Amino acid sequence: MSAPAFEAPARPQDRVIKRPAKRRDWSKWGLGTYFVVFLAFLYGPMIVMAILSLQGYYGAITFPFRGSFGFNWWRSLLHSTVAGSPTHASDIHTAAKNSLFLSIAAGAIVAFIAFTLSMAFRRRWRFRTDAVAFYVIMLALMTPGFLLAVGTQLFWNYLGLSTSIWKTALGANVVWGIPFGFLVMLSVWNRYDPRVEEAARDLGADQTRTFREVTLPLVWTGLFGCFLFGFTLTWNDYDRSVLFQTKASDSLPLEIGGMTFTGGVRPDLYALGTATTIFSLLVIGVLLVVASLRLRFRGAPVRHVEEELGVATAIDAGAAGSAAPPSADE
Amino acid sequence: MSSSSGPESQLNAAGLEQIEEIDQTAPRLRALGTATGPRERGGGWVTALWALPGTLWLVFYLVLPLVFIVLVSFWTYKLGAKSGFTTNWTLENYGTIVHSSTYWHNMLTSVYTSLIAVAACLILGFPIAYFLALKVHTLRNQIALFVIALAPFWTSFLVRSVAWTYPLSDVLGWFGVTTPSTTSVRLAMIQLYILFMITPLFFTLSQVDRTAMEAARDLGGNWWQMFREVIVPQILPGVVIGSIFIFVLTMGEYGTVLVVGQNYVQSVGTIVNSYITSAVQYPQGAAAAVLLVLALIAGVFAITRFSNLREDL
Repeated sequence: MSAPAFEAPARPQDRVIKRPAKRRDWSKWGLGTYFVVFLAFLYGPMIVMAILSLQGYYGAITFPFRGSFGFNWWRSLLHSTVAGSPTHASDIHTAAKNSLFLSIAAGAIVAFIAFTLSMAFRRRWRFRTDAVAFYVIMLALMTPGFLLAVGTQLFWNYLGLSTSIWKTALGANVVWGIPFGFLVMLSVWNRYDPRVEEAARDLGADQTRTFREVTLPLVWTGLFGCFLFGFTLTWNDYDRSVLFQTKASDSLPLEIGGMTFTGGVRPDLYALGTATTIFSLLVIGVLLVVASLRLRFRGAPVRHVEEELGVATAIDAGAAGSAAPPSADE
Repeated sequence: MSSSSGPESQLNAAGLEQIEEIDQTAPRLRALGTATGPRERGGGWVTALWALPGTLWLVFYLVLPLVFIVLVSFWTYKLGAKSGFTTNWTLENYGTIVHSSTYWHNMLTSVYTSLIAVAACLILGFPIAYFLALKVHTLRNQIALFVIALAPFWTSFLVRSVAWTYPLSDVLGWFGVTTPSTTSVRLAMIQLYILFMITPLFFTLSQVDRTAMEAARDLGGNWWQMFREVIVPQILPGVVIGSIFIFVLTMGEYGTVLVVGQNYVQSVGTIVNSYITSAVQYPQGAAAAVLLVLALIAGVFAITRFSNLREDL
């Protein structure tokens, strides 16, 4: 190793060609600018709405901003009268409470079902049930929410049962959450080392103890991801619950929908919409913090984005779910 | 760099064929991720027990309702019946729907809207996915930007629809778009659903073979040729999946049309709803819904023709 690379090459073709210094990648800057414009398109409407919620009492409901600033409309979410006129506050409070309980229930059920289903899948399906599972889960993902609500309504009518938010909308929302939760769990299992279970077994733990002390602690962040998927999807759902509505305050999105249609739209609608959006974004923040903590504790190198974004991968369940079959044909 | 290209260059055609053969063994298994771990004792019963809660829930809340849409669409409307229909088989509901010009008009409008949404999401979304996957180099930045672009997915579609109604009506007016109108509904749909196109594009783009892209450029191809010959074939599955998502979601859309369109704009979803809630004509509503499902299946089938996706997808 006497550094022969620095000697003059014996043959002309071995000459080292020095390329000019790397030029600035203009396409990167162009695309970056486009990305910023795109973000404006994505977030702009919501931001406009947030700004308009800060209108004064006599403010208009369309952009651009007219009149003075004021927190009247935000206050109207909390108090039953603002400046002498009645508000939707009591309805909103009931709706928020209903939505919160409903979403927590949906999140818990999604986490439970996604976990048990993925456990069954992990044990390898006998017969051809893996194909059936694939189709049913794709079906849950692809069925338009409103269509599912219609079907549920007809089915329950036939059975002679009465529908309600808790009995039917919860069911439809969990169906919508299951594919996402299932794919989160699959990405967790894909990175899971089954040898630790074998080690626990070899050291004398029985199956239940292995499950309780080895398996669960290793995958609980995945369960947390499933819960959050079920929670946010239900928290924001409209299509799947509108048919089962008995009163406006059944859930927060239904309340928002009601405020939109009844005419006489006021900026308190914008304040409410902004508040629920901020709440959703806070929930994502919690998810990201947990994910990054998991990343830090694990300490393993991440090779691909899709590996670490187990949760985000599931958004596009199709990419994980059916990207593979076409590539097999090529 | 040079050390890794050594073995790859030795891959010959036979080796590639072998890889393809291995890939074809269990595509669905791979599609759902690989089943890890040894086959455990206890057999099928334990597995079935694990699968039981999810299966029951999916059958009761997904499969049976869908089956009942089809069944009810063949049953007879009866005014006094408690459920709104009796189990007498008839084709009358389909006759009514097929002869309803309103239904066909809205069906065609919906199809047209969906096609526009798919095309717009593809054209507007590709540069974003390309930027994220190939121009952002550190993983941390990639994740951060991706999450920023994706975060609105977790917020309410309804609230984001509301933002397209009154708040933006003046702004849209500057561009000659009135609200509510079909155009504003379409704009809102593109904004709401474009994430479903960007995500599969991003994941397929970040898996595109970089060495093949470099090779294409080194062999004298310009960017466009590289794009056409190297990138497009490799991201086609992502394009197809994104298109299926957007098509299905926008065709079956209900809330957005209702909020942004405000009764001036109709879609198949609002028509079905008017049969179900206003007229309480359950069998006719079910027939309309079945035709919507058939249109969805036809659309998905047509989209998969663009790629050599498996026919049984």
